[in-house]
Amino acid sequence: MKRLIMCEGSNELEIIRILLENDVLIFTEDDLLGLTPFHARQIKSGTQVYTELGIYPGNDVLIMRIGDTQTDKLKLPKDIQHKIQGIEKYCTKPELEMLLIIAEGLMTDFEHQKQYTPKEYAKRNIYLGKKRYDNSSAFYRDYFGESIDRLTDAIREYKRIKSHNRDELFLADILK
Amino acid sequence: MKLLYVKACGFKNCCEDYTIDLVPKSKKTSEDKEYELQEVAPGLYAYNSMAFVGKNASGKTSALELLDCCYSILGEFRIEGKHYSYDGISLEMIFYHEGALYRYITELENDKNLGNKAAFKNEHIYVQPYFKSNAKNVLDTNAYEELTEIGELPEDTSNIFFVLKSKKTYALYFDGYISKESSYDLAFKAMKNYKIGSEILEDIFRIFDENILALKRLDDHNYLLKLKNEEKTLSDTQLVYILSSGTTRGLLLYILAAASLKEGFDLIIDEIENNFHKTLVDNLLVLYKDKTVNKHGASLIFSTHYCEVLDQMGRQDNIWICKADDKVTLENMYLKYDIRSELLKSKQYYNNAFQTAVNYEALMMLKKVLKK
Repeated sequence: MKRLIMCEGSNELEIIRILLENDVLIFTEDDLLGLTPFHARQIKSGTQVYTELGIYPGNDVLIMRIGDTQTDKLKLPKDIQHKIQGIEKYCTKPELEMLLIIAEGLMTDFEHQKQYTPKEYAKRNIYLGKKRYDNSSAFYRDYFGESIDRLTDAIREYKRIKSHNRDELFLADILK
Repeated sequence: MKLLYVKACGFKNCCEDYTIDLVPKSKKTSEDKEYELQEVAPGLYAYNSMAFVGKNASGKTSALELLDCCYSILGEFRIEGKHYSYDGISLEMIFYHEGALYRYITELENDKNLGNKAAFKNEHIYVQPYFKSNAKNVLDTNAYEELTEIGELPEDTSNIFFVLKSKKTYALYFDGYISKESSYDLAFKAMKNYKIGSEILEDIFRIFDENILALKRLDDHNYLLKLKNEEKTLSDTQLVYILSSGTTRGLLLYILAAASLKEGFDLIIDEIENNFHKTLVDNLLVLYKDKTVNKHGASLIFSTHYCEVLDQMGRQDNIWICKADDKVTLENMYLKYDIRSELLKSKQYYNNAFQTAVNYEALMMLKKVLKK
């Protein structure tokens, strides 16, 4: 089986890259289509995923969508439908910034400030040294890149405190 | 150094003000920034891949040769051994280098005393510091100030030396003039120059011909070929007959691609699809778009007749349509044509949306004659 990881945004992609680099997932880059995770909302929204699917000759691709709410349905182009074995959704809803808020131990405070989305709250309250959270992939890299336990702890804690719909999995489910 | 803009007059059969603008023009999505574009400096982007398409004799090779000419000046500060006359060419280039944008203007002449070299005349270099806030001023000539009293060099050496200071490979041109025999020698020279390990060569052979385990160079013209069941000592001429055309071309092309990706220089390929399965061309494009492989900002610049390749390109502003009437001209797909992004570019190409169809009347004329 080949896993096709499609991340909704560049920040989700950075998180997956950090997890892969630190070998804390139940799979490695060798198990991934094209040996890499992708930033793609739809198979045909860019060309990279579609091209990689075209190159791959097997019919055993498991699509793993990584994103926050993932309300849009994944469209499978007809010519590659036969290659897809299944589709799984891994959610970090309502927004990926939940992981930063949990890692900072600010969940209680965040829940008291309901006027802010996680992104807005993170931009106001989360710093790394003097650098304020700016919704960039570089911030996630700096914040979690050197402290993988902080990231995996936040991912596990997110699963403990959040509930999802039946078809929505947690990032914690792919941790070793 | 990243080349951003080229304008030429008097270059081969190209029209006056023949322009290749390499600054992205259309909207940049976050997916584009991940796969289609590279950030040269904050807010300044260049393409990971660029395609030149058009029918036969439409000037695709001329576009690539012009880029190769510019890269020769930028990388070696001279032009030598090209297959065209330098007389009457005037060039304008804009490039980014170490925090500044440079605009360079020169005229070229053949110089009989210097063999097949170009002489540089009336050179001017202009500069502006680059900031994210002036990313839109790249092509604004008024924003540049001329560098004066920079020094003097022999006339076969460009004053760009005073800006870039040391020779460096900024691009390699894989053209149609390379003989099959010399492909092996070039591949091994590239492996040595750019420190490409023999394991990469073995992986390349695995793609093209699984019977080949290894190829070792014995001297300038002789090689040891290790096959699954035997070993043979062969000259380069004999190798041409033993290996398929695709393997010979693929060996050199993939070695150059490996060097380009490792070092971050651009690779210019004339007719990328020659001798290749479509999957191999797709794979080359994928490699240049994947930042975990293309870590140093290399770009793949190619011409092709194989318009299905265009469907693997996520943008339109990095595709140029070449046309030839009295003179060779160039049209940017995004700027010139109103093509809906969800439509396959290959279908548009075959539907003659870019006026690139093969002359049907000429085909039928030939058929008619053959029927007689």
